[in-house]
Amino acid sequence: MTSNKLLSVSSLKKSFGGLQAVNVDSLEFSENEITSLIGPNGAGKTTFFDLLTKFQNPDQGNIFFEGENVTSFQSYKLARLGMTRTFQLTRVFEKMSVLENMQFSGSSVKNESISRSLIKGKSLNNFEKELEIEVDKILELLNLSHMKYSYARELSGGQKKLLELGRALIRKPKLLLLDEPLAGVNPKLAEEILDIIKNLSIEGINIIMVEHNINAVMKISERVVVMAEGKIIADGEPEAIRNNENVIEAYLGKVNE
Amino acid sequence: MIEQLGNGLLLGLIVAIASVSLSLLYGVTRIVNFAHGEIIALGAVLTLFFSSSPESSFLYLDRFSPLGSSFIVSSIASILLCGLFGALLELCLFRPLRKNNYGNVAVLVITIGLSIFLRHIFLLFASAKPASYALDLQKREDYFGIQLTPRNVQVLIIGSVVMILVGLFLTYTKTGRAMRAVRDSSELASVSGINSDYIITLTWIFSSMLAGFTGIIQGVINNVRWNMGFLILLLIFAGSILGGIGTSFGAMFGGFIIGMLVQLSVGLSFMDGHTEAKNAIALALMILILLIRPQGIFGSKERIS
Amino acid sequence: MKDYKRYIIAVSLLTVSFLYIFTSNETGVARIFVNLLTFAGIYGLAAIGINVHFGWTGLLNFGHAAFMGIGAYTTILLIPHALGREGVVIETGLPLPLAVIIGMLAAALLGLILGLPTLRLRGDYLAIVTIAAAEIFRLLIRDFEDITGGVYGVIQFSEALQSLRPNFITNLATSIEVSSSQLWVGVITWILIIFTLLFLNRLQKSPWGRALRAVREDEDAVRALGKNAVWLKLQSFMLGASIGGLSGILLAFNYGTLQVSTFVPVLTFYLWAALILGGVGSLAGPALGAVIFWVIISGTDSLAEIFFENANGQQLAGVRFVFVGLLIMFTMIFTPSGILGKKEELLLDIK
Ligand SMILES: Nc1ncnc2c1ncn2[C@@H]1O[C@H](COP(=O)(O)OP(=O)(O)OP(=O)(O)O)[C@@H](O)[C@H]1O
Ligand SMILES: [Mg+2]
Repeated sequence: MTSNKLLSVSSLKKSFGGLQAVNVDSLEFSENEITSLIGPNGAGKTTFFDLLTKFQNPDQGNIFFEGENVTSFQSYKLARLGMTRTFQLTRVFEKMSVLENMQFSGSSVKNESISRSLIKGKSLNNFEKELEIEVDKILELLNLSHMKYSYARELSGGQKKLLELGRALIRKPKLLLLDEPLAGVNPKLAEEILDIIKNLSIEGINIIMVEHNINAVMKISERVVVMAEGKIIADGEPEAIRNNENVIEAYLGKVNE
Repeated sequence: MIEQLGNGLLLGLIVAIASVSLSLLYGVTRIVNFAHGEIIALGAVLTLFFSSSPESSFLYLDRFSPLGSSFIVSSIASILLCGLFGALLELCLFRPLRKNNYGNVAVLVITIGLSIFLRHIFLLFASAKPASYALDLQKREDYFGIQLTPRNVQVLIIGSVVMILVGLFLTYTKTGRAMRAVRDSSELASVSGINSDYIITLTWIFSSMLAGFTGIIQGVINNVRWNMGFLILLLIFAGSILGGIGTSFGAMFGGFIIGMLVQLSVGLSFMDGHTEAKNAIALALMILILLIRPQGIFGSKERIS
Repeated sequence: MKDYKRYIIAVSLLTVSFLYIFTSNETGVARIFVNLLTFAGIYGLAAIGINVHFGWTGLLNFGHAAFMGIGAYTTILLIPHALGREGVVIETGLPLPLAVIIGMLAAALLGLILGLPTLRLRGDYLAIVTIAAAEIFRLLIRDFEDITGGVYGVIQFSEALQSLRPNFITNLATSIEVSSSQLWVGVITWILIIFTLLFLNRLQKSPWGRALRAVREDEDAVRALGKNAVWLKLQSFMLGASIGGLSGILLAFNYGTLQVSTFVPVLTFYLWAALILGGVGSLAGPALGAVIFWVIISGTDSLAEIFFENANGQQLAGVRFVFVGLLIMFTMIFTPSGILGKKEELLLDIK
């Protein structure tokens, strides 16, 4: 099976012992969309992300990215194809400065070769300078400019989320997978992050987002996919999802009462 | 090759028991204990210290035998002391490290320091030459075509019994099950009300006693050396990796295979005149296993990366 | 602690160390001094290699003796030498610089072979495999006597290096009454250390060095950003291995004979002690650590004399290594950043 959709999966399965963590028959994501993936705790959302980005190997099933079967690819290869993820538990390089975090993410593999680093010609220096300009822009956007030279571990939890987002952005991904970008972020900052995500989408970056903040999800998403016990139980526009009985039962529950 | 079968069985047994003890400790504490070999040697050296005949020149210290020089009594005392030593290590060193959030790498380096320290303490108090227990010499006899001394047979039987007891202990006793629960997930264990500090201490004691026991039987069938711990440690690592690190049954099996292999390879024709290289074969096999099936024969994939 | 404070501590430690040497020896101070600095330099260079592994990348290499050994054996067997029990003389060989490069490449190749299966796995596996590799190496060298000289070793190879010794070194050595060949090895060692440090300094500040630091902290995050963490680790492993190879070659020339007993697994632990003492992750730390370490080691010999009257070799070694073990433990427990390491980059919490 091939598909000209951006990303699609077929009969993707993963279990831990007896627990079927992910069991997705078929799911497609198309271009120019913000899709939210919601579901109760332990529904398998993070595991699903892990499978998509090959941080875990599926027990069975296939993954296609831009029509290519990428099931056997390693995670870094997928990232190079333009699929970049963030982690539910933030993972910044704590012992590196904010600037270095960003530079590392943004620098090309070619420039990171040992020989090029050793000779370190003008072109490499120029590249690093251009990179820093790029970094400055993104830090500005994320309100992190004042922390540029701080060690990343000095950032607050919310700022780390921002840095992780920024680190993903500088890679100019085609598809951005965000695992709970608003978790532990204050309402005002959450608003800002939502705006940023919205703008990214307008600029043509495709976004799949796991998020428990249901209001934010409803406000920003063009499509909502609901997961429970590893399965997709609903898939559609936000309004439809809000009124879907299964979803109300499994997840939304009181929110709508 | 067949004449090596007896030696193979013996070494297989030793490495198997030692692998179980290392593997259990690793499983419960997540510590790759490079000083484990020294606890093995401690068992052997202490037994010698308690039981050796006065004219033995192995120890610089005079023999210490408040218990009389019975070999069995000495062995039991040594095993108990090894357990005590394990408890002390946990209480005075590893628990404080754990409470202060020392990472695995730091702890690993510390166990390396510990092993160098202990090994050379043995060197200081014992001769560099190998020594034997004061047991009468026995001739090898033929058991079902396998050449062994009667004492070797006793060792095989006792060792197998100990191994079975360990298996029963881990499967059927409350403590054994708790150890396995902590091994499989310490968070899970603490949720289910298991006091993991207590279990970890027990594991240190239990694993050190097993290690001491291994040292003693190794001393019986070969000899006692100050550095016997280091060599066997590498074989234990090989055994645990072959069977699957963090598994008990796997470690037992892997250890047994490695021990057999080391001895049997002596009989291979291309090994003629290269007896030193027999350990190299086991270690090379370990590297090969890591290349093709890093989780070992019985291990699960999640544990390794 | 501020950086300059660390350097003040370092300099005062060095001064005290040297004063100790001068006061505790009435005769032959220059000889002792040159001997110590040469050994310390070689060990320092080797420890710099481990630092690339552990300090930069978080890789646990406990088999550095094997890298040093393979570098030494490859190089020495490629130049004119005499071999083993029968003393077979081999008069032809490659020019020394070429042989040295091949020796370093051989060490890097061993790094590749050991790294490929293990660098995908959790860190402890590398520790186990490297320590095993060092033992395999030792056993094989001993066993294959017809190629390696076995326990009888390799001799008569020093000429390749000593023939390059400039006259002023010889003259200097004569005037201060030290061995001219050791002085020459020592000078070369420290020159190589300086070059290596310049080279590494450049790398550390480059995008490559940055990538290694990222790998050290969080490989998963590195992967998520499209970088091949395993390949980066492999490169670092090979680089450190080849530095180890170079130091092994120097060690052989310093002894003047090549013995398998030089490259025993415990050699690696000396290096670790020097590295941890000097400061994991810092550039010059390992070299400094090695110097101070050697002073301490010579101090332990007098310690041994206190415990044992007329201590024999075994007791000297025993006391030495008891001390090495304690040094590794205590430094790691109480000042894990060593003398020159940065506290911010402490490795305590590495998984
Ligand atoms: N490594 C693992 N080993 C065993 N079980 C796991 C593992 N990872 C996840 N699980 C289980 O798989 C199920 C799905 O977990 P997952 O993290 O994907 O949920 P989630 O939807 O992201 O939840 P949350 O909203 O809380 O983040 C859970 O029941 C979890 O316990
Ligand atoms: Mg999740």
